[in-house]
Amino acid sequence: MTTTAPETTMTDAAPGAAEASAARTPDAPVARRARRSPVDTGLTVWSVLVFLFLFAPIIVILVYSFNNGRLLIAWNEFGFEPYRALWEKPAVRDAVAVSLRTGAIAAVLATLLGTLAGIALARKPGKWALWFIGLLLLVSVTPEIVDAVALLPWLVFLGQDAGLSIFNDGTVRLVVGHSLFSTAVVTYIVRARLVGLDAQLEEASADLYARPFTTFRRVTLPLAMPAVLAGLLLSFTLSLDNTVVAAFVQVSGSTPWPVYVLSALRGGLRPEIAAVSTVMLLLTLAALALVAVVLKRAGDSATQIARTMSGG
Amino acid sequence: MAEKSTPIRILASTEQVPILQRAIDRRRFLSFAAAMGGTAFLAACSSPGGGTSSAPVATGGELEGSLSIYTWGDYDSPDVVSSFTADFGPKVTFDSYGSNEELISKLVAAKGTSGYDIIVPTGAFIPQMIENGIIQKLNKDLLPNIEHMDPAFLGRSWDPENEYSICKAWGTTGFVYDKTVITRELKDWNDFLDAAQNEASGKTSVLDDPAEVTGLYYWANGIDWNTTDEAEIAACEDFIVNTLAPHISAFDSYPGGQAIPQATQVLMQAWNGDARIGILESPDPDRWQWVLGSPATELWMDNWAIPVGAPHPEAAHAFIDWTMVPENQLLQVDYIGYHTGAAGIEDAANEAGLEMLDLVFFTEEQIATMNDGEVNEAQQRNVDIWNKAKAAAGA
Amino acid sequence: MRSLRLPGFALAIPAWAWLVTFFVVPVGAVLYFSFGYKPGIFGTHATDVLSFDRYAEALSPTFFEVFMNTLWVGIAGTLLCLAIGLPVAYWMAVKAPANRRGLLIALVMVPYWTNFLVRTIGWQIILAPEGWMSQLLQTVGITDGPLEILYTRAAVLIGVVYNYLPLMILPLFVAFDRVGPALREASKDLGANRVGTFLRVTFPLARPGIIVGLLLVYIPLMGDYITATVLGGAQGNMVGQLVASQFQAAQNWALGSAMAVLLILVIMVSAAAIGLLLWLVSLPFRARNRVVLEASA
Repeated sequence: MTTTAPETTMTDAAPGAAEASAARTPDAPVARRARRSPVDTGLTVWSVLVFLFLFAPIIVILVYSFNNGRLLIAWNEFGFEPYRALWEKPAVRDAVAVSLRTGAIAAVLATLLGTLAGIALARKPGKWALWFIGLLLLVSVTPEIVDAVALLPWLVFLGQDAGLSIFNDGTVRLVVGHSLFSTAVVTYIVRARLVGLDAQLEEASADLYARPFTTFRRVTLPLAMPAVLAGLLLSFTLSLDNTVVAAFVQVSGSTPWPVYVLSALRGGLRPEIAAVSTVMLLLTLAALALVAVVLKRAGDSATQIARTMSGG
Repeated sequence: MAEKSTPIRILASTEQVPILQRAIDRRRFLSFAAAMGGTAFLAACSSPGGGTSSAPVATGGELEGSLSIYTWGDYDSPDVVSSFTADFGPKVTFDSYGSNEELISKLVAAKGTSGYDIIVPTGAFIPQMIENGIIQKLNKDLLPNIEHMDPAFLGRSWDPENEYSICKAWGTTGFVYDKTVITRELKDWNDFLDAAQNEASGKTSVLDDPAEVTGLYYWANGIDWNTTDEAEIAACEDFIVNTLAPHISAFDSYPGGQAIPQATQVLMQAWNGDARIGILESPDPDRWQWVLGSPATELWMDNWAIPVGAPHPEAAHAFIDWTMVPENQLLQVDYIGYHTGAAGIEDAANEAGLEMLDLVFFTEEQIATMNDGEVNEAQQRNVDIWNKAKAAAGA
Repeated sequence: MRSLRLPGFALAIPAWAWLVTFFVVPVGAVLYFSFGYKPGIFGTHATDVLSFDRYAEALSPTFFEVFMNTLWVGIAGTLLCLAIGLPVAYWMAVKAPANRRGLLIALVMVPYWTNFLVRTIGWQIILAPEGWMSQLLQTVGITDGPLEILYTRAAVLIGVVYNYLPLMILPLFVAFDRVGPALREASKDLGANRVGTFLRVTFPLARPGIIVGLLLVYIPLMGDYITATVLGGAQGNMVGQLVASQFQAAQNWALGSAMAVLLILVIMVSAAAIGLLLWLVSLPFRARNRVVLEASA
């Protein structure tokens, strides 16, 4: 296995080397047990408690998805009634479909824009890069609510006053709203990945008279691929979760799932919301597992996947 | 988007200058080209007709495949909706708001692109919604079931000919309290305000609607709640923001949805139908006491209306007409707990043996204490007071 | 051969154009609106007379308290995330069996991949005074009355810590993992005790991860208002809520815009302050750190 860890913040060779050796020789469990101290036990107990904390509401939602009552939070009796709503309530199904559709489009768009920009930042840095990173930073620190209040009048202006009727379309509006932050995120991730990798391969390719596009397709893109996939997945989830911008820019008839839930909060939540969430969680888990497998094929270890995901 | 035209100063060695110069020129050109390209792309997306004018009008043609309703929370019986879809075809989606201000903001900001086909504004807001071109005229030929309505609830002051709106339901405001915590008997708004500052402090919710929040003070103190007298408004602001707000734990237009069944608050300002839903849903209904607001309270009437730009006007008319069928009126009353304005609905409800009808129908004497709201010059001040109260409650 | 030579930033142009069209321009418009005023009941904004009046209004005592409240929730929530997440990340990266780490990371992420509103509603169910948690605590005898957490500051903190904790644990894990065991062993061989090793080797090297984690949590937390309102009711009133209600209900775009601009400024200034503070705090560690590194290399 080759170490492809991006070591962006490290200037020393030592930590990188240390890590490589760590990856090759997993700690011997016997020696570990012998060194157990109260501090270690405390850490383990604390971590288990935190994991319980992280899962508590999800388990609750899972259990309550079998609540045959009228209100989600008032337990009535066990049953599968909520799951039937998935088939019987078109509004629920439509909301999930809208979320999946806009999530996919927004993710592909953000990944496309972000990957290109990330490659440019990593491979052709210059004075322009400062300005561009400044813009990305501004996008990232701007709270969703500000994007939301800014985008709605602008999209309405484009759609109604400027006559660009494409912006009256619900899907287009949601995709625009969901793509902004994601584009910045993908750019960071792709840049971080490529900065950590030497440009020698691309230079070698150019020396061998490959056209720039060929180099891009055959060398740069495969190198960036784990980050691209991570970015795609991350933007998809960010989009699925996006409530604030979506609530402002949405056109009724293409209401995404989080906005449906937000609206349902008003009139009393029905158990089917838990049922749909459970189904969506299972689907996301499946998608995650798939991506993990793909990333593993690409030669990344679990920790590197985490690293890529968190942009470092 | 504008590139600065001021000279760019870069410290560079002499031989690099021409190279840099080229790079900079190219950069300026490219950013300009990108801007132009972007515009061309946007222009390409635009359809020739564009704009609001293309919105369809109902003529009695074939129903569209879907219908989108922007209304108050949990305000239509699922049975009425599902039978509409089964009999007529259009799939119905709902979205909800908690105040008329929220409804109007959404429609004004979207300029006819909100995608909603039916909205349900309160009467007092209708004249200005007409004036500002937010709602469109109904095609009354498509609403024959209007004959089942009680004439007393048609032709109200805000729309004398029912050209734009038809009564959907009417109700009033009172409060609900937890008898296990508040052991004394609360009878009117003054008791409400007193309890909120004492045993119910930090466990009190008020409606998330400017008119009712300011109304609390006016009703309790015998002041006309449509007052435009600045001294009275200032006194109201002082009381609501500085005295009452610190004791408020939530602004909730629908305590019946969760707060009553889950007993998260002990004192809640509530609309009668919502209070009824909450008490019916509570695992321990005897714990809760409903009190009609007194000495004075409001009478609000929500009305079906169709916003300008509604994409599915045929389905919208068909749905409004469907809800006025007598059987459906009864289903609505049972579900939402409000008088729907249909003729003879009270007798029908009694006959059908619906629960807790004292929260749905009121006596002549009770109705005499209820006043219509108005949207007047004080509107903006009311909204400000409401916003400040929310800020003060969280501090 | 190469007929077309593109400048270095050519690949970034699509992203740049997209962000300018749908971010810079509309947010610029918000900045412009913030100098205007609200012209009447149905008017949303007017900009024929420009002034700083809306900023004065947004910073009036009533609203200023909401800004302070938001900062309090933001800072307390972020520090709690750090305090709770740091031991977990350390445990995952250093103490947990190496072959389980992938699974642990996935577990940390699972909540993050569930819709945040639904997760928050899960907490509503847990914390409800009539909920099973409340009943359990009463049956066991830990509390003698119903649980009274929902719609308090405590509920707000539980909610935000819960929703942003994974964003803290992940970068911290990466940072601790990057330090690797060899350096720690070296530190021990040179006579440092466990605390000394953590403070002088592991912690300074994990510093970039800590900064990333703090920012990843703090920035979205400051803008979030839904988590806080769902669990905190009136107590969860954040600046984001003020902005939203100016646009969604009061129809005062000018005031809402001024609040939005102030919110961005508060976030930028406080985030920069956090970064600066951490950098200053780490200065004394840095000098010693270099000695350790040289010894290990």
